[in-house]
Amino acid sequence: MVGPFQLLGIRHGPGAAILPTNVTRIHMEFAHKINDGHMGPKKFWREHLPRLKFWNPAIPMIVNRTTDQLGPATMTLYFRDDGAPAASKSELPQPSSSSTGHSKAPEPSEGERAVTIDMKNRRSEVILKDFMDMTGAVPVIPTPQEEAEMRDAAELKQRGEIDRERVRKMLEAERREAAMISQARSEAAALKAAA
Amino acid sequence: MASTNQFLASMARLSLSPSTRPSAIAIPNFLLPSITAPLVRHASGAGGMKKRPAKKKKTYKSFRSYDLSPMEQFTLCDAMRYIRAFEVGRPPTSVKYEIALKLKTQKNGPVLRNRIRLPFPVKTDTRIAVICPEDSPLLAEAQQLGAVAVGEESLFNAIREGNIPFNKLICHTDSEAALRKANLGKLLGPKGLMPSQKTKTITSNLKATMQELIGADEYRERNGVVRLAVGQLGFTPQMLADNVKAFMGNVKSDINEIDDTFGKGVDEVVLSSTNGPGFSLNGGFSPSDEKIQPEHLQSVM
Repeated sequence: MVGPFQLLGIRHGPGAAILPTNVTRIHMEFAHKINDGHMGPKKFWREHLPRLKFWNPAIPMIVNRTTDQLGPATMTLYFRDDGAPAASKSELPQPSSSSTGHSKAPEPSEGERAVTIDMKNRRSEVILKDFMDMTGAVPVIPTPQEEAEMRDAAELKQRGEIDRERVRKMLEAERREAAMISQARSEAAALKAAA
Repeated sequence: MASTNQFLASMARLSLSPSTRPSAIAIPNFLLPSITAPLVRHASGAGGMKKRPAKKKKTYKSFRSYDLSPMEQFTLCDAMRYIRAFEVGRPPTSVKYEIALKLKTQKNGPVLRNRIRLPFPVKTDTRIAVICPEDSPLLAEAQQLGAVAVGEESLFNAIREGNIPFNKLICHTDSEAALRKANLGKLLGPKGLMPSQKTKTITSNLKATMQELIGADEYRERNGVVRLAVGQLGFTPQMLADNVKAFMGNVKSDINEIDDTFGKGVDEVVLSSTNGPGFSLNGGFSPSDEKIQPEHLQSVM
């Protein structure tokens, strides 16, 4: 079941951008855990990459997760050189994503050049900014209807915060009272037993 | 001024607490009503708090089905586009597309249960064991067909020891009696491995059954829903469409075989994935965004 605003969140937000046609593929490599500066890349993958993938479904976006925390965290962008023939994407020697570190960034093929971004010890927003600058991606502007939906989502979230606080207080009071009663009850029982 | 004087007396009375001897420990009344205050009965008659009989919970004979008209439904390519966005960067062989087929059906009565050989198999790690009489030509035949374990008593012993290197078990009709004697239902039943006529795993034709089992996926209806993994993340839209169509066709023919009086029917088809949300399908194929072609949805994940 799709949540009410879940799909909106994948269509719009930071990272929702259309890449120019000369970007052929994207490769990311980082470690499984966030220690030693791998938090930014992981966040980028979890938050921004799905939006990029939604708007650019044809561009392979490969994530290679390694178990080596001390290893590098890099993003490799592949651009087609100006004037090079538009090779079909399926022809590129392209390993698929891996969670065991088996798909290293491939060498750029003929008519292709690769640019690397070091992601280690950097926040995901900074990585995204670098990414946008280097690729020249055009952010997607939500339609007025979607903007209204986004406002609704924000409002619902805010309302939820208020309600959560209210319910938390109520529950706390309830629990405190229950604890007091049970304590008094046990004391009374002890008295009764002593008498 | 007179009024102040008038009140002074009452004020004084208020401030003076009645000189009762302080009781040793104050126990709140509500805690020990039996000690502090004897039960008082009022002459309000037998009425008052009459206990109403517990409200009977309404029971439904069929699983609930919802009105789908206000729901957003998706074509296959649209759902795939979203799912591929949600699953970006995941290893494509371990992430699966799944179908949950909600049925209009009663809670009792027959359930759908069958096997299907999908046009594009989802998993290819079927390992079959065959129960057949030892020292018979059947044993050699089964081994030739690719069974990982064969035999009768030796196989039973291996199962009892917990050595189960297979995920499918079939039994030749000649060994049916031995299987029944071996009393393995407790071990094999929970794993869904116990051969039975019903699941067509007791057979006299090993070759046909094994070929059917390899690459075949089992599905069954649970709580009014049939679930099946129908594809790997790396599948193209056309491959997935073929698999979904084959599955739907199979389920529909199963429904037709069941007596009409039970009124089974397909209610909703939901496409989901290992880490993604579910998308209710509307039966269409092409993407609704004219900039996206089905070919765009088959790049390497």
